Amino acid sequence: MRRLWAICRKELQLYFFSPTVYVAFAFYFLVSGFFFSMDFLGNQTVDVRPLFSNFMVIYLFVIPLLTMRLVSDEMRQGTDELLLTSPASLTEIVVGKYLAAVILQFLLVVGALIYPFILSRFGALDLPVMWLSFLSLFLLGAAMMAVGLFASTLSAHQMVAGIAGFAMILILWMLEWLSGSILPKGGEWLQLFSISARTVNLQKGLLDWSDIIFYVSFIVVFVVLSIQALERKRLR
Amino acid sequence: MLEVQKVSKLYTNRRGVDGIDFSMSRGEIVGFLGPNGAGKTTTMRMITGYLNPTRGQILVDGVSMADHPKQVRRKIGYLPETPPLYPEMRVRDYLKFVADLRDVPARSQKKRIGEVVEMLGLSGREGQVIRGLSKGYRQRLGLAQAILHEPDLLVLDEPTSGLDPKQIIEIRKLIRELGEKHTVLLSTHILPEVNSICNRVLIINQGKIVSDGRPDELAGSLTERFEVTLTVRGLQGELVEALSAIPEVAEVTVLTASSASETPAAGDAQASAAAGSPHPQDGGASIVRLKVVSADHTDVREALFFRLAALGRPILEMNKVSLSLEDVFLKLTTDEQVDLVEPSGESGADAAAPTAAETAALARPAASADPASSAASTAPASSTASADLASSTASAAPASSTASADPARTDAEETAKGEDDHA
Repeated sequence: MRRLWAICRKELQLYFFSPTVYVAFAFYFLVSGFFFSMDFLGNQTVDVRPLFSNFMVIYLFVIPLLTMRLVSDEMRQGTDELLLTSPASLTEIVVGKYLAAVILQFLLVVGALIYPFILSRFGALDLPVMWLSFLSLFLLGAAMMAVGLFASTLSAHQMVAGIAGFAMILILWMLEWLSGSILPKGGEWLQLFSISARTVNLQKGLLDWSDIIFYVSFIVVFVVLSIQALERKRLR
Repeated sequence: MLEVQKVSKLYTNRRGVDGIDFSMSRGEIVGFLGPNGAGKTTTMRMITGYLNPTRGQILVDGVSMADHPKQVRRKIGYLPETPPLYPEMRVRDYLKFVADLRDVPARSQKKRIGEVVEMLGLSGREGQVIRGLSKGYRQRLGLAQAILHEPDLLVLDEPTSGLDPKQIIEIRKLIRELGEKHTVLLSTHILPEVNSICNRVLIINQGKIVSDGRPDELAGSLTERFEVTLTVRGLQGELVEALSAIPEVAEVTVLTASSASETPAAGDAQASAAAGSPHPQDGGASIVRLKVVSADHTDVREALFFRLAALGRPILEMNKVSLSLEDVFLKLTTDEQVDLVEPSGESGADAAAPTAAETAALARPAASADPASSAASTAPASSTASADLASSTASAAPASSTASADPARTDAEETAKGEDDHA
């Protein structure tokens, strides 16, 4: 457990030593702030719901940027030799890294609370909807982080990992549309796996446990895939 | 302490490591020597558990790496070829991270980090960002990382590569100090390093261990035979014939002849004038360098002297050959190369027996042809071989242009030049 925290802490340190995180955060708040002001000043309504679709789209760009270096940088610098020859197991290494990414994701979500706070000055908010929407945002982001982490284990080049992560997230996202247009028959089945479709209920204020279980198991699958991808490197 | 049992790492498209088998006892400093791409790093990576072997097993203190990886890794400190450092981190934070990662108890971490920093001369740099450290300090920090958890076994992959001579001396001194407490396995391709640090050498080539012993013993074991190099003024064919006739002599090899024997026109005028040669195919008397190997360990120098004196052929130089570690290394690694060209000989180090044709391609191994093959390398065969060698070194690269043959080739060129100077 101490090794896991050591890795998590180191990842967070490295995150905030590198400019990428600051660029990603700046981009995130700039764009979301822009959309917020457009919505709020344009419609003059006190409603949090329009915000979330914007956040989700920004995640699509920001999260691969935040996860791309997680493992690939270790491989490029040769520091994977330190981690893989230490008593820490691959599970500890990967979960530690994922935890750091999720903490970052948590910061992104918490930072976005400023918009409802501003809105709350002008009128009453639908609080259950707001909190569940933020929960959906966090779960969606955490799931995307897991995909990004997995993509990062695939290449020693950050950029390749970033683009692969972006592509994977995009495809998982697009499953919703694909299901309707391309595959009329298996479509409904495919739609179950769309990461974006699962946020709809939560953002309506409906707490469906199957959605939450979906995200949690989705995360577990990709973390396990990442561990397996690294395990394979030992057999190289 | 460490047992590596028949470990192989197989790759589909490149050479891996094949049946490596050795063990190390506590307190040894073992040098792992081999040309580039011989499998040193792969073997070390398997020992440290970075790679899993395809076959075989690795035991540390009798515990298998495959079955109890955590327990075994705790006992190993590893410095890879490039020190595994995070350039953005500060020295202190980095060591703290490694201490956590390597299960150094929280209570003793601070003290231990202090000790290691002191020991490696990193004091005063704890607050520095690693990116700003020079190569030498990075290497020290890499070593600090490896010894932080007081491992029993220290595995160092080319610890002195890329350092300047002063730093190399410092790092070697450090390794010697570390060797007092830890068991050390270090890889290198720098030979003097092995002589100065290690008390045992493993030579690996083409993924196999070709030799194992103390640095001084190693040279001794290969010079069991009595070898003499001779520089004589005379006719090549006549000399070889005369010397082969001496009963104690097992083998005569022509190393170089100053005039190419196949083209008499190219022979220098002075030599042919002096001898007034009756053998036109020899191109007249010339300066010939020969290698003579005695049958058993008898000293043949006197016999050679009297025989040549009787012939009226003056000896210009006579040398008893003793192999340096460098020669041993070259011999072992290049012989192996030759075996690959024509896989007839055994792969064992001392059993390698290159044939006469093969020795022609490589000048140096020709000097160390096994006594067993002496019957095969008859006098005329070796003389034509040497003629080939002389022409090929003069014009272009010899047939085998592999990397490890390079030093041998330059050696041959140098001796050829030396001969020209003599003439």
